[in-house]
Amino acid sequence: MTAFRNLIYDFEEFGLIIRDLLSGIKTIRDSWDETLTEMYLIGSKALPLVLLGGLFSGVILAIETGHQLKIFGATSLISRTVSLGMVRELGPVVTGLLLAARTGAKNSSEIGAMKLSDQIDALTAFGFNPVHKLVLPRTVAALIMFLPLTLIADITGIFGGMLIAYQTFQIELAWFWDTAVNALKMKDLFVGFAKPFFFGFFISTISCYFGLRTKGGTTGLGKNTINAVVYSSIVILILDFIFTKIVWEVL
Amino acid sequence: MVELKNISLSFGEKLILENVSFTIENNLTTVIVGPSGAGKSSILKIIAGLWRPDSGEIFFNGKDIFKMCESEYQTMRKKIGIVFQSNALFDSLSVTENILYFLPERKSLTDHELKEISERLLNFVNMDGTGDLYPEELSGGMKKRIAIARALAFNPKLILFDEPTTGLDPLNSASIIELIEKLKESGTTSVVVSHILNDVVELGEQIIVINDGSIVESGRIEKLITSEDPFVNKFFYRLIKHDRIMKSSYNMYELVNV
Ligand SMILES: Nc1ncnc2c1ncn2[C@@H]1O[C@H](COP(=O)(O)OP(=O)(O)OP(=O)(O)O)[C@@H](O)[C@H]1O
Ligand SMILES: [Mg+2]
Repeated sequence: MTAFRNLIYDFEEFGLIIRDLLSGIKTIRDSWDETLTEMYLIGSKALPLVLLGGLFSGVILAIETGHQLKIFGATSLISRTVSLGMVRELGPVVTGLLLAARTGAKNSSEIGAMKLSDQIDALTAFGFNPVHKLVLPRTVAALIMFLPLTLIADITGIFGGMLIAYQTFQIELAWFWDTAVNALKMKDLFVGFAKPFFFGFFISTISCYFGLRTKGGTTGLGKNTINAVVYSSIVILILDFIFTKIVWEVL
Repeated sequence: MVELKNISLSFGEKLILENVSFTIENNLTTVIVGPSGAGKSSILKIIAGLWRPDSGEIFFNGKDIFKMCESEYQTMRKKIGIVFQSNALFDSLSVTENILYFLPERKSLTDHELKEISERLLNFVNMDGTGDLYPEELSGGMKKRIAIARALAFNPKLILFDEPTTGLDPLNSASIIELIEKLKESGTTSVVVSHILNDVVELGEQIIVINDGSIVESGRIEKLITSEDPFVNKFFYRLIKHDRIMKSSYNMYELVNV
């Protein structure tokens, strides 16, 4: 019963953060420097990860589907499968999960350490809203940076699939690329590009939320960082499911 | 300036403060003393607006702060600064950036004016030339002085100090106490939480003794060392003993010199 009450309490607190975030949207002008710094950190530090994540997803997708398609003599469909799979699903989800780990852990541990050393209380005591000062710049930075990073993952993924298709299934490079790009319809692009915004928003707000409620010294900090990564990842998987379901049924 | 009336606070079942009432007079240094866990920091957090008490009233210049409208409340908040027990400096920012962080008019000043302000504040706390350092490069006493400079940039009428001298050597403690005295001269009222008897004697113009969340005695030091209350007696025992030694050595001195 207390677990249930705690859950309700968590949702309530999380809701308050979202409310503060929205009500403070105009104060982003005062935190533009912080936002740029966060954007730079997300972009520069996550880029190698996203390149690797994207490349290997594409490669594996091509190998697995290639062998299945070969049974039906349909290896020419690899390009379609890889590009649709990357743009709609794997690109956003792999990028989301990598960033949930990287950005999520960073936000939560940074803000958590600030909380433990009274820096958050200092902000409040001197009349600043910690959500405006800390959560808003991080969330805006995530909203801006997640799309380009996802795009990069998509492209490297298709590129990786193309190499495998050429090397293992003897499909011509230029032909692969053309069919891969032509297979993408407006709907696919919409799905693939909308996801990063939702993922970015929830990764940022969830991890900042866990940072802000840190208590109980270093053990608490560790626990909250784990929670931040775990919950952001779970939310990404659930959101992805909801998205996919809606897209197949409604659009 | 600030009046607390019947403030009570509890966390769950645990009573932290019970019916705490006292007044912080303009330009009179108030020292709050008591053992660890007595609720001293909690009182400061309530005055600083970080925690809301379960019951009781707080008046700022005669106005009930829980009945103020938002803008009135914000204006009032800008008159109160706080120096945390842990300093709470922003560790990702340099000393200068820390000091200027809470400066209300920061956005409208030129870089040159900002530099001037930070240099003036660093000079006030005897930390000239440290502006480019980061908090982790400072010693405990230096951090404390930067935290004071940061609170001063806010230009408050009232500053709350949570154990400003705990963990500092006698020289550093003395310099912090001097700073608080210097502030008084410039018209800033201080509330100092401490359990160091020396601070109490040097700073306390009004001393509040708190134990287990309630006030057991308050007044000037002369009143406290002659108090009948057994807790106050025990708490100030060393001071009382010291006082007697001073008196008896003075008597000896008189005897010898007669
Ligand atoms: N966030 C909190 N949640 C629950 N209990 C708390 C919290 N903060 C403080 N307390 C409890 O409130 C009581 C008073 O704490 P407070 O920090 O005010 O004491 P203090 O007089 O400042 O002690 P010290 O001299 O050790 O700093 C303590 O018993 C403490 O355990
Ligand atoms: Mg304390």
